[in-house]
Amino acid sequence: MSILALAPLLSVVAGALTALLLEAFIRRRDHELSATAAILALAAAAYFIARAWPLEPAYFGGRLILDALALLLMGVFVLVAALVLLMSLAYAPLREINLGQLSGLLLLAVAGLMIMVSSKDWLIVFLGLEVLSVASYALAGLRRSDPRSREAAAKYFLMGSFAGAFFVFGLALVFGTTGDLSFAAGVPSGAGPGGPPVTVLAGLGLIVAALLFKIAVAPFHMWAPDVYDGAPTPVTAFLTIAPKAAGLAVLLRLLWPLPVASRAAALYIPVLSVAAVLTMFAGNLAALRQKNIKRLLAYSAIAHSGYLLVGVIAGDGPGLVFYLVAYTFMNAGAFAILAALSGRGEDNTTLADLSGLGRRHPWLAACLAVFLLSLAGIPPTAGFLAKFFIFSAAVARGRVLLAVAAVLASLVSVAYYFKVIGAMYMQDAETGPVLGKKNPALVLAIVLCLLGIIQLGVWPGHLLVLIRQALAGLI
Amino acid sequence: MSALLAGLPVVSIVTFLPLAGAILLAFFHEGSSRTSRTVALAVSLLTFAAALLLFFGFRGVSGLPEFAERASWLGRGLDYEVGVDGISLFLVLLAAFLTPIALLSSWKAIDGRVKEFSIFMLVLETGMIGVFVSLNLFLFYVFWEAMLVPMYFLIGIWGGRRRVYATMKFVLFTMFGSLLMLVAIFALHHAYFQATGHYSLAIADLAAVPLAPGLQTWLFLAFALAFAVKVPLFPLHTWLPDAHVEAPTAGSVLLAAVLLKMGAYGFIRLGLPLFPRAAAAFAPALSILAAIGIIYGGLMALVQKDMKSLVAYSSVSHMGLIMLAVFSLNFEATQGALFQMLNHGLSTGALFLCVGILYERTHTRLIVDYGGTAARMPVFAGLFLVSMLSSAGLPGLNGFVGEILCFFGVFAANKVLGVLGVTTVILSAAYLLWLYRRVMQGPLKDPADVRLRDLDRRELACLVPIIVLMVFLGLFPGSILRKTDGAVSRYLGVVNSKPAASLTLNEVSPPGFGRSVTAGTER
Repeated sequence: MSILALAPLLSVVAGALTALLLEAFIRRRDHELSATAAILALAAAAYFIARAWPLEPAYFGGRLILDALALLLMGVFVLVAALVLLMSLAYAPLREINLGQLSGLLLLAVAGLMIMVSSKDWLIVFLGLEVLSVASYALAGLRRSDPRSREAAAKYFLMGSFAGAFFVFGLALVFGTTGDLSFAAGVPSGAGPGGPPVTVLAGLGLIVAALLFKIAVAPFHMWAPDVYDGAPTPVTAFLTIAPKAAGLAVLLRLLWPLPVASRAAALYIPVLSVAAVLTMFAGNLAALRQKNIKRLLAYSAIAHSGYLLVGVIAGDGPGLVFYLVAYTFMNAGAFAILAALSGRGEDNTTLADLSGLGRRHPWLAACLAVFLLSLAGIPPTAGFLAKFFIFSAAVARGRVLLAVAAVLASLVSVAYYFKVIGAMYMQDAETGPVLGKKNPALVLAIVLCLLGIIQLGVWPGHLLVLIRQALAGLI
Repeated sequence: MSALLAGLPVVSIVTFLPLAGAILLAFFHEGSSRTSRTVALAVSLLTFAAALLLFFGFRGVSGLPEFAERASWLGRGLDYEVGVDGISLFLVLLAAFLTPIALLSSWKAIDGRVKEFSIFMLVLETGMIGVFVSLNLFLFYVFWEAMLVPMYFLIGIWGGRRRVYATMKFVLFTMFGSLLMLVAIFALHHAYFQATGHYSLAIADLAAVPLAPGLQTWLFLAFALAFAVKVPLFPLHTWLPDAHVEAPTAGSVLLAAVLLKMGAYGFIRLGLPLFPRAAAAFAPALSILAAIGIIYGGLMALVQKDMKSLVAYSSVSHMGLIMLAVFSLNFEATQGALFQMLNHGLSTGALFLCVGILYERTHTRLIVDYGGTAARMPVFAGLFLVSMLSSAGLPGLNGFVGEILCFFGVFAANKVLGVLGVTTVILSAAYLLWLYRRVMQGPLKDPADVRLRDLDRRELACLVPIIVLMVFLGLFPGSILRKTDGAVSRYLGVVNSKPAASLTLNEVSPPGFGRSVTAGTER
């Protein structure tokens, strides 16, 4: 029955190959066929994830782990990819992006993500990371006519290669010392004296640094604003959510089993706490000064990496997964609105373009306002509950100062999210960019995100219970 | 009537009826301003009618929350628990009473984007009522924070020239306080779990578990900061004049009448009962700030050139007296504070309405632009005068009862603070009567003012109910005080008890909300 365990991954890979082949051999300019194939593959993957739920968790001698954390995150990836595809159906024709290539690469990236989160073996994780990385470099550069997109791809590729090299070097150190590639290798789980050798510590440090790079945590976040800003909008939505989720899941898998009182915890908690605080403030303070919404959201995505890292430090697995689901809806929603705002050729995402949007397109503006309020963490949206759980777990773990820093960072973020809302509703601009007819796929994506945010914010009952129960036995 | 009410979730209906109205309005056509106005007014009147059911069904003998409802929501103590007791009942009524009036007052003043305006007003009403009826700290916080959003839009869209600045300042100030309170809520949540082994954020449960003194101090400071910004206590008041001056009339009315009360209510409902020791330790310092606020606000009101900022500073002064009474921690003072909260809501609401009425006619709020208005608008002048005298505490009107109760209580607690507190009478008489003389009496200032018309029926419908209530409460304060008695004695019992005394879980927490439902409805 091992083949069923691979089914989600296989269906995504099959979908990717089909999409790419269709793109190559079918002579249709719009490539909607490829996108359809990709969406069907995602649906199949979702079905197999649901089917795999009660299965026993380990396959292939423990190389592949399909526990609740892996399955929940796979679900998140499928959701993100589906939302991104829906957005792309409207956005790709406007920017002369090849939809077939986008669909294929996107599914390849999802396959990489799935591999990353479903193993406790460093080599397998690296495999997933590289599949993800190669696909995402190409995704970032899909808008070949645009120099900013090309710059994003080049930058992402260079920096990503460095991070990949860090990972491999760390891996070599760990393996060379311990002869073991599993997460547990060399990690001291007890509180006893005689810690791990320096080489293992250095190796794990390098691996964690590479993961932090993927998550866009300060001081490894410098690439993020340019890449997020330069990549095509739906791709940005994908890059700001999915790799982050995978990196955090790996970190959580590494750190969760460690007892709070252990020496390893005494080492990583202060380091990650400083990184989290730096990330939250670096992202939020830089976002304050942005005039372009896309760049503003890029910095806000960095700040959210910081909040999510607080969840890892607090060891709050359920809270982290809930945050990721909520974040998927609110961030993808905000980018979907940006996609809806873009006209042929230009993005229309400066604050000036948005002024008066509340009059010109009341529903679009209202949706963006809800997404931004959720990102800011205002109740009763999903973003508030997500922050509530994570920060509350931090306080319960005794990290009060970290929680205080996190809420103060949220206060800073309120200033710029509300600035955008203010531009939409409190400034009048009689003439704004003329928007074409709304694409039904895009409308579907926006409505899904809106429903997700309201549902998760007001009545998250089933999902919350599911996440808590699923992760309860996973420590 | 009790048979009618049995089993009906009246509190939830009162809370969420406005929200339902707002959602309904969202699907209306943008252009039909008149329909939007009418629907919003009808919904808010219906809400008020439902709130009256609460008033008539309320007994208030036990001091326990009545009409209590409970439903599990997010697990781990984050539950839906609502109900009213003597402390919250009248604030709910105040919010439900003033919202239709505020809507009616903006019938003509707001002529752009009426649909959005009506939606935000109704959402604001849900937020305000929700804060007062919450019996669970999590729910309280949700409403407390969510309510900022409609107010942000109301000031930011329909406000004056510097509206965007003012509304941002309002949001950031309030958020700063409340986010630290959020961290304190986390700590409280966890401390309760450690003490008892299960989760709860029900306010009654939390008050029953004594906290370590060190923890209490920090948590009290975090809560106090959130509430002090909202009241506002000197020196955290600087957002208030900006927000008031820029807000549209309806926004000012609700801001002054209801939103400021949330700060004082927060101290009474949460700050003092949850952290009695820390509260007792900090009461002198906070009382001094309140006293400074009384005098500072009064002096600032004397020198204002703009009528709206004059009323805004008078709010700082009056809220100072209320806070002084709250921190006196005795029966008279607390009763007085509650009563005065109601009075201040009515009188300041009326004063802002009056300023709004003048502004609609002349498009200026500067005092120097007026003079001799009484000759042109005699009815208005009369109602304006009654509102002022209520605010200044003239015997026979409601303000007098509240102030005298406050003074009795404050003097009993501390003579010096009592003397400082009494200056509010002198100061408010000075700035209000001087305002009246400059605006209403003397020769007509502006020749164009000859054409000023007196109040029309709509404006009378706004002001007269408030005036009637002022007189009624001045003559029959017992109608209110009788219902608050029970809750106030219960509250003081919690606050003044030494934490070491036999304060066990069973004693203070109501023995299951189911019983208090029957207490409230079965008669």
